[in-house]
Amino acid sequence: MAADVKTAQPLQYYRKFIEKDVRPDERTLEEFRPTVLNIGCVTTAEGSALVKLGNTTVMCGIKAEIASPKTEEPKKGYIVPNVELGPLCSILFRPGPPGDQAQRLSQFTNDVITHSCCINKEDLCIVPGKYVWVLYCDMVCLNYDGNISDACVLALLAALKNTSLPKVVWDEDTETIETDHNTTTQLNIICEPVSSTFSIFDNEVLLVDPTVEEESLSTGEVTIVTIDDKICMIRKPGGSPLTPQQLDLCINRSFIRSQEVIRLIQETLNSVDR
Amino acid sequence: MAGIELLSDQGFRVDGRKANELRRIQCRLGVFTQADGSAYIEQGNTKILAAVYGPHEIRGSRSKALHDKVLVNCQYSMATFSTGERKRRPRGDRKSKEMTMHLQQTFDAAILTSLYPRSQIDIFVEVLQSDGGNYCASVNAATLALIDAGIPLKDYVCACSASFVNDKPIMDISYLEESSGGAELIVATLPKSEQIVFLEMNSRLHEDNLSHVLDMAVKGCKDIHDVLDQAVREHVGEVAAISGLE
Repeated sequence: MAADVKTAQPLQYYRKFIEKDVRPDERTLEEFRPTVLNIGCVTTAEGSALVKLGNTTVMCGIKAEIASPKTEEPKKGYIVPNVELGPLCSILFRPGPPGDQAQRLSQFTNDVITHSCCINKEDLCIVPGKYVWVLYCDMVCLNYDGNISDACVLALLAALKNTSLPKVVWDEDTETIETDHNTTTQLNIICEPVSSTFSIFDNEVLLVDPTVEEESLSTGEVTIVTIDDKICMIRKPGGSPLTPQQLDLCINRSFIRSQEVIRLIQETLNSVDR
Repeated sequence: MAGIELLSDQGFRVDGRKANELRRIQCRLGVFTQADGSAYIEQGNTKILAAVYGPHEIRGSRSKALHDKVLVNCQYSMATFSTGERKRRPRGDRKSKEMTMHLQQTFDAAILTSLYPRSQIDIFVEVLQSDGGNYCASVNAATLALIDAGIPLKDYVCACSASFVNDKPIMDISYLEESSGGAELIVATLPKSEQIVFLEMNSRLHEDNLSHVLDMAVKGCKDIHDVLDQAVREHVGEVAAISGLE
């Protein structure tokens, strides 16, 4: 019976639950789904992480390559994030070139890296003006069940924390570079950006960490990226308007989430023997 | 042979296996909720994920519909971080296209296609980490995903590779053994009826040795079948236990 109502009148079905301050998957309105993190699972990559946010699963792998820097910034390396939403992860996506959502997410993760300054791009310099590192951060969605942006940012951060680069030495005489794969250095992460997404239901109720059903019923969305107890970015792409009080609530919740996530990463890193 | 000794005098390979030993296989069915069927397989360091959607109505151009059988649509994709050197394109390059076609042809032969005319079955394979035997692991993963989706098959499709080193056939070759330049034979079989659905051989191999290498690969398929069958039985047992309680 419940299943029929859910299919025929999803909005009414959800309203019934939300009246009682609970969601169909037994979460309260401000509760994230259980988050599972696995770090260093792909050995062919320089750094990797697998994130499960409820059913949403994202894998991030980081490959490092050597390239020449821009002439105006001879000491700065590059970080190239890319999000892939293939037909494998959900029936919503079709085979072919990356869709709008995948491109928007790639841009979003790029903004997170630039605005948070979590990596000093000068750390990626090998020989100024000649050789720098390029970090290709590829995030592949394996199962799509909503709130992909939080999962991507978490996967990216965890993979960056797991990244170590081989030592490269510049040989003056031969004017070539030599790579020593046995000595690696850990990438220095300056700060830890954490993203929290809220979806707006019926123009007023805020739902933390929406599933794909909640996203499809929502009337708006807010994403807040925090660094420890500071705000890094707020994204509210249109949708129903919010009062400043509601926004305050979101910000406070995202600070708590930030602490939870950083603790989770720390615990996972400690448990993985390197 | 220059460089590394692929098979030592004591009969051990570079990774410590015997000539007729498979790599460790770990697999799980029903890993994801969105797909109708999904499976994850690890064969040594090769890690592959497969998802099956369907049977559903034809997507895209309706002209592709077949009036007497189901359309099997495959996509083989390698994550850019799956190989030693970064892959520029996860799919669409010639090698992936070839692999896609091979998978399609293999499963066209194994699925009972006449049961779903004018419909489509999608098989998506994603290579997360590659260490040789990508085709074999893809086939094995896709078989498990198809079983998880409940799509009628003639039999399991199991694939295994073999090579020939120091006058001895070796089973389930890794990337190192694959790239050493020796012969490589890939075979996919229906293990119960011992029928070969797919066979490919690269490089030179003396005619007299072909049967030995083929026997080794077919034996590998049978061993893989035992492992997969065990995994399927365990999975079905678990699912039955959960649904029995409800």
